[in-house]
Amino acid sequence: MSTSAATASVEPILKTRPRGLWRTALRRLFQRRSALIGMAILLALILVAALAPTLATHDPTQSLIGVEEVTKRQPPCIHLFGCPHDQPQHFFGLDGNVRDLYSRILFGARLSLLVGIVSVGFAIVIGSLLGATSGYLGGWTDHLLMGLMDIMLAFPSLILAIGIVTVLGPGLINTLLAIGIVSIPVYARIMRASVLSIKQQDYVTADRSIGVPTRRILFGNILPNALTPLVVQGTLGIAVSILDAAALSFLGLGAQPPTPEWGSMIGQERNQVFTAPHLILFPGLALILTVLAFNLLGDGLRDALDVRQRA
Amino acid sequence: MIRYIAQRALLALPVLIGILFITFVLNRLIPGDPCRAMLGEKASDAVCTAFSKRYGLDQPPVVQFGYYLGRVLAGDLGESMRFGRPVTEMLMERLPVTIELALLSLLVATFFGVILGVVAAHWQNSPVDVSTMVLANLGVSVPIFVLGLLAAYLFAVLLKESPFSLPPSGRLTAGVRVQPIAAVWGLNELGGPLRGLLDFFSQMYVLNGLLTLNSKLIVDAGRHLILPVLVLSTVSMSVIARMTRSSLLEVMNLDYMRTARAKGLNERRIIFRHAMRNALLPVITVIGLSLGGLLSGAVLTETIFGLTGVGRTMFDAISSRDYGVIQGFTLVIAFTYVVVNLLVDISYAILDPRIRLG
Repeated sequence: MSTSAATASVEPILKTRPRGLWRTALRRLFQRRSALIGMAILLALILVAALAPTLATHDPTQSLIGVEEVTKRQPPCIHLFGCPHDQPQHFFGLDGNVRDLYSRILFGARLSLLVGIVSVGFAIVIGSLLGATSGYLGGWTDHLLMGLMDIMLAFPSLILAIGIVTVLGPGLINTLLAIGIVSIPVYARIMRASVLSIKQQDYVTADRSIGVPTRRILFGNILPNALTPLVVQGTLGIAVSILDAAALSFLGLGAQPPTPEWGSMIGQERNQVFTAPHLILFPGLALILTVLAFNLLGDGLRDALDVRQRA
Repeated sequence: MIRYIAQRALLALPVLIGILFITFVLNRLIPGDPCRAMLGEKASDAVCTAFSKRYGLDQPPVVQFGYYLGRVLAGDLGESMRFGRPVTEMLMERLPVTIELALLSLLVATFFGVILGVVAAHWQNSPVDVSTMVLANLGVSVPIFVLGLLAAYLFAVLLKESPFSLPPSGRLTAGVRVQPIAAVWGLNELGGPLRGLLDFFSQMYVLNGLLTLNSKLIVDAGRHLILPVLVLSTVSMSVIARMTRSSLLEVMNLDYMRTARAKGLNERRIIFRHAMRNALLPVITVIGLSLGGLLSGAVLTETIFGLTGVGRTMFDAISSRDYGVIQGFTLVIAFTYVVVNLLVDISYAILDPRIRLG
């Protein structure tokens, strides 16, 4: 009699579906104002990157000498803000090669997002593989791989990236690769830490004892558990990658002219800052906004997923 | 304690050898012929053979690495192929510029970072807190070269006629003289390592001015350093402020803090004596780690502000494939970084008995 009463009272609770980690996290993420701002900026950037050919007023690599009555490094001219109507309109002005800066910055969004996401993606894949191998196998493999990671971490990241680009040769693809390589150790360490903590859990031992293959244990049990710190670190890592790539381009080692890359645009015109500050200001603001978006989103994710730095 | 320090130091040794190895391999992989990069495309084969022999480039890589290791242990970092000068000599000349810049930046970043973090944590969620954190978020998102160029424009062009005008490049105004400390102190006959040290310090102009009581030099060198230091310290300052705030907030909610309040201690004592001791641990790690960022940032800052320090020399050396300089400078930068992290680990152990005993 009493048993059935107890069952009846439990039933409604069983009907409520448990909320998963990611759904809870998403809900928490949307409650944070800074994360929302980050997401909004990011969404705008993705739209700008996708619609760059439509939004751009000019060809980003074509010089306007002979096409329009303009001079080089001309400051912005917006008709709405009082610029004479007989002058051609250029929202952010013109650069040293008489190209429309606004169009170049729009197309630059594609490159910066690409560099950040691809280099971090590369680092996460390679880093996770190395970290998982290291943590799972242990012993000499672990010592060797983590020793190598420690040595890589002993270099300031930009200095190592400069060294790698020098070996590979300047260019956007090589910059991507260099920044990817430099970021590997962080992800390897996160993955290794997760593997080490989960490897000891009873359910993993149980899996192993009934003969579940290693690959399935790694991908089925361990990877999902390591995913949250990887996602958080990855989002913040994109910000760092974009900054480093822009720095390499600024130094002339990354994207080569006439590619519309923000860092290289600033690098080429850096000596003109005193006479044509708009050539530094606009690409600079674009960079700041992009990096800020990823930083805000990354911080928001960290709080929402409640991840402590494990690396 | 001594055992702990020795243990940590021993662990750093393989890392240092690894750094040497990686630097060596990277440099050997650099495409292009160093001889023709140095002597021009028209250098004859005979000249290049002699060049390779002189710099040991004709030996197998393993032998080259062995020679290099031996020389480094003897304090010889090789020779700059471009300038025909010993790398150690160039380092002695340029390292002080970077050390002065990096140390001042670290000092500024730590001082203001910790203060801002404490203020933000104490008045949590107040407008002060929110604005500090917005600024800190912007601070970590601004590329150094953008900040540097815009700051130069602001202080050298827009504020040119105002008292806030600052020089955008160089280390001194033309006409300001720098004398070696040894000469001012009347120690011209002094030789050996002590003289070397004094000459090293002489290159740090602010310190030189302080030691020789040359107020004109202090003011002028200081004015030239304001912008580079401001720019270089921004990222670290923001990171330190954020870390101090979050770490302090975490500690403030612990039981022993309530006990301290219940005892009737005043708030300042609670924060600085009780909370800070525990909250500072992660902050110290961040300070140590930010040195890597400062060294990376020095390449950009020195390039923008026309300072001939380690960073800028590194960049020039890479463009001209000056192996000796790249190797030597990378080694010193990485070595510094490892040693600083070692010191951070040790200070951690001194501050927190749980680490050395655990």
